[in-house]
Amino acid sequence: MSGDRQPARPGRRWPEPTWPPLARSLHPGAWWLWALGLAVAASRTTNPLLLAMILAVAAYVVVRRRGDAPWALSFRMYLALGAFIIVMRVAFRIVFGGGQGDTVLFTLPEIPLPEAAAGIRLFGEVAAEQLLGGFYDGLRLATMVVCVGAANSLADPKRMLKALPGALYEVGASVVVALTVAPQLIESVRRVRRARRLRGAAGKGRRALRGIIIPVLEDALNRSLALAAAMASRGYGRTGGADPRTRLITGVLVVVGLVGVCGGLYGVLDAAAPALLGAPLLLGGGAVALAGLVLGGRRVRRTGYRPDRWRPAELLTAGAGATTAALMFLTAGVDPDNLYPSLSPLSWPELSLIPVLAVLAGVLPAFLTPEPPRTAAPPVAAPRPAGGANGPGGANGPGGANGAGGANGLGGANGAEPRKEPVA
Amino acid sequence: MTTTPRPGDTPPPAAATDPGAPPPCDTPPVPAPASDVTRGDAAPGSRAVGPDRTDGATEATGVTGATSGGPAVAAPVAVPGAARPAPVAPPKRQPTARSRVTALRVGPRAAVTLLVASLLGLAMFCWPLLVPPQPQGVAHAAQAPMLFVVLLPIILAVVLAELTEGGLDPKTLALLGVLAALNAALRPLGAGTAGIETVFFLLILAGRVFGPGFGFALGATSLFASALLTAGVGPWLPFQMMAAAWVGLGAGLLPRRPSGRAEIAMLAAYGAASAYLFGFVMNLWFWPFAIGDGTQLSFDPEAGPMTNLHTFFLYTLATSAFGWDTGRAITNIIAIAVLGPAVLATLRRAARRAAFDTPVSFAAAEPQGARRP
Repeated sequence: MSGDRQPARPGRRWPEPTWPPLARSLHPGAWWLWALGLAVAASRTTNPLLLAMILAVAAYVVVRRRGDAPWALSFRMYLALGAFIIVMRVAFRIVFGGGQGDTVLFTLPEIPLPEAAAGIRLFGEVAAEQLLGGFYDGLRLATMVVCVGAANSLADPKRMLKALPGALYEVGASVVVALTVAPQLIESVRRVRRARRLRGAAGKGRRALRGIIIPVLEDALNRSLALAAAMASRGYGRTGGADPRTRLITGVLVVVGLVGVCGGLYGVLDAAAPALLGAPLLLGGGAVALAGLVLGGRRVRRTGYRPDRWRPAELLTAGAGATTAALMFLTAGVDPDNLYPSLSPLSWPELSLIPVLAVLAGVLPAFLTPEPPRTAAPPVAAPRPAGGANGPGGANGPGGANGAGGANGLGGANGAEPRKEPVA
Repeated sequence: MTTTPRPGDTPPPAAATDPGAPPPCDTPPVPAPASDVTRGDAAPGSRAVGPDRTDGATEATGVTGATSGGPAVAAPVAVPGAARPAPVAPPKRQPTARSRVTALRVGPRAAVTLLVASLLGLAMFCWPLLVPPQPQGVAHAAQAPMLFVVLLPIILAVVLAELTEGGLDPKTLALLGVLAALNAALRPLGAGTAGIETVFFLLILAGRVFGPGFGFALGATSLFASALLTAGVGPWLPFQMMAAAWVGLGAGLLPRRPSGRAEIAMLAAYGAASAYLFGFVMNLWFWPFAIGDGTQLSFDPEAGPMTNLHTFFLYTLATSAFGWDTGRAITNIIAIAVLGPAVLATLRRAARRAAFDTPVSFAAAEPQGARRP
């Protein structure tokens, strides 16, 4: 927003509004907020029709707006996980259900277990209420899981790492190293195996395993030391040096926050405790600890390389998720019946207008956000050595080249890397 | 990620002549390509020569840092970090080949945080057994797990931030990253086939070699990186990270004395025990979610802890103890027994080359140092 008022800096200005907008990947935080909004909405209902709508909305947005990065293909896995949750819940109702409910669908032969197993009997009468109860609950949890999966396949995890607070900078940097090194391990394994074959050691089994794993490990460790040397020579590890007062305040905040969480935990778990000791103290303690985290992060002085900005599309995406969640909360106060369909007596789930509108608000990002960039037609990018599974959309320094020097891939360590000026 | 600010667009010809670069120093006992980095708390062990100059360099380079453009292979340049003019003191102890190194030093504050956070985490894992049997407990129990899902990431973040509070040595950081990558690459190897879980054996061995703090951080980062690589991010991730971090922490806290075969036997036993415990706490946390209420194996908020423990025991037996947990334990035992000695030797060699505990001494910088502001 401030960029529009600064025409003197063309690099900062938003591009001219075009329609359809230029392909770019949204801020990962926007996708996460959107998905969490959907998940919160799903947690407020057991109505299978609404849940199916939420599933459809999430799946549609994913199909329309995911890129072709490796993580974008993970949505299927979450769908499978959701199906597994539902099957698990229904199966447990059948096997261990204990025969609650009036509308008996069918009867299986009973297997009573001995007293050591708390007198549980397996199978027996299976009632419709039981199965439906398990299905509704399972579907709700599965929908929430699938919403998280939608965020996983839409949001770029590497760009998400950029948003880590400063206090976690070092840990985040080592995760970046891990993400960068992992593809290189495959190449390392291939090299070691080729060397083994050249020496005629084409054995299998235990010795071969050791003959591959140990050289690969040795290679990786040597690489890490070379990387550390490269980082140190570039001045990495120079933290600004927090003054003692800040450190003291940080420590006090962190410890007080954690103690507060302890108290809140006790309050939440013990129903006899006053209500103020419960969730408010728990969340308050978490907030104080978080404040300590933020304060502690100020020792790390860093600037972002091509920082992710929140533009209208991001705000709209996050807003769509928030609208869905908020409308669903609103309905819970007005018309709770259709959100939780009755199981006794059994009744058909019905839809009312506001929840449907709420869920439909979540589909807006499928139409109103820019398309994700495709790697099929790569823009002019500097040739890079092996590794770095990110396409042009990966505006992140870390993903990329990590060749001989090692530290090149670490955007965190150095800003003066001339090769890292791709499409602006 | 992010970059440090750079003073100009053109990189300086070499790091050694960069006005922002720290003075060169000599580190006699370090065979590694890079010399060690002295931190504020490591300062007593360092023999600082020419303290005034070193201090001036610290202030001068506090913001700009060194830029790249120098040779990719490190010149023997140490970054003095928060080095203060320390009194000349002999090094406290020389690391021997057998003693463990401490790649990530856990200060007292971090230790307290770690302890409190571990207790909190344990309570969040075991909440189904902690709820007292009261009828009103139902409402609370329904709300508690959602709060925990929100809070555990914060607690984990706070602990990791405290562990790296003094700034992380680049060598530690790089080792952490590379070992986490290895773990993350090992993880999909056995996923899905009857609980053959290959994450833990390297985690245990690395925790043994590099110490408890490093083990904790490695457990957390391994699972995090693995989740990012295979897109397994979800509400379960903080719980997995915490449990794996405990596995690494415990491996670092095992008694130091055993070596040779005794060490391998101890580590294998620890591997088996930690496999079962990991499965136990993960199961316990996910139990109320996995099957919901309304079955005979469900969590019952109105029953007492012992009844719930019994129910949970049956649930674990019915679902995972024989398949997943036993598979995981057997994988750990076999991997540690077969690969353990060689991997331990490799890791120890890397630790020796990294020379974590070696004190750094700064020599007076010659001509370049004289031009320092």
